[in-house]
Amino acid sequence: MGNLKTRIIGVITAVLIFISLYLVFGYARLEGTMLEVQKIFYYHVSAALTVFVAFGVNCVFSIKYLIQRKPNDDLLAAAAAELGIIFCTIALLSGPIWARSAWNTWWNWEARLTSTLVLWLMYIGYFILRSALTDDKRRTYSAVLGIIAYLDVPIVYYAVDIWQGGLHPDRGTKWSMETTMQYTWMVALLALIMLFVFLLIVRYKMKKAQMRYEIIQQKHLREAA
Amino acid sequence: MRIFVLASFVAVLGLYLFATQVPVSITSDKVAAAVSAAISEAEVPVDEDIVEKVVRRSLEKLDAGQRTRLTYLFAAYIVIWLVFMLYVLRLEQQQQLLDQRLAQLEIISNREE
Repeated sequence: MGNLKTRIIGVITAVLIFISLYLVFGYARLEGTMLEVQKIFYYHVSAALTVFVAFGVNCVFSIKYLIQRKPNDDLLAAAAAELGIIFCTIALLSGPIWARSAWNTWWNWEARLTSTLVLWLMYIGYFILRSALTDDKRRTYSAVLGIIAYLDVPIVYYAVDIWQGGLHPDRGTKWSMETTMQYTWMVALLALIMLFVFLLIVRYKMKKAQMRYEIIQQKHLREAA
Repeated sequence: MRIFVLASFVAVLGLYLFATQVPVSITSDKVAAAVSAAISEAEVPVDEDIVEKVVRRSLEKLDAGQRTRLTYLFAAYIVIWLVFMLYVLRLEQQQQLLDQRLAQLEIISNREE
């Protein structure tokens, strides 16, 4: 599924994930209030932060596409958005499980949860738009939507500051954790970002191969006609 | 890729099984010993039966609480890995489909030549 560099990134990602799992279950100290269930934090928060990275990549390459009009930028933007949705799904699914145990509720329409759901829905819309249009229109309109949708990312990040009184703790909480917890979280975050990079390369290559196939197929059809 | 996701899934499962085998850090033996010591040191008369019942009930609650928390923890990690696994399987399917189409295209172009 790729060249040597991709494989090396894949191996590093795998090692980092195994190390992070060991740290989560075997090294990080138990948090005093939530005890074992707090260990969901390491992958839940890391997945949420990886979402910002993924949609950030989508935004950057959407802008690049609108300026330079290179189809490859559009492919990379679409691959990043797809992975952003995957990581956002993970954050949205693991969050309620943690919430049920810690807050005694599966879901609450507080600012951060609602804005994250809106973010997820906007990028679902991004792919619905892509499937409804073709060629240049698809690339241009989805790039514009990608940039607009990214405006929700700072809203999600600062939601706890803007709308106070929600269930989520302050943004600074993760920096005031005990040392073993902080190291564990940082390794988990690095592991998920590496996983994102690895999957992004794989997905981008696949999309590129798909595009080449479609070009060749169209050429053949024209020649046959 | 699929092997890697499956292996990490097994690792999560293994770690969960390992974690559930670890008893609550305060075991019933330790508590019983501590309670006996406290009763023998007490200057007032203590009903040992009542104390034992209270301690047992407390331990049961601690144990049940830990089991519930571990179940939520396990469920969350299972969900995370399921999402990854389904995505990777979908990627593999798409890759296989692409390979098939490319092979067909190659056959067509060879015929034309």
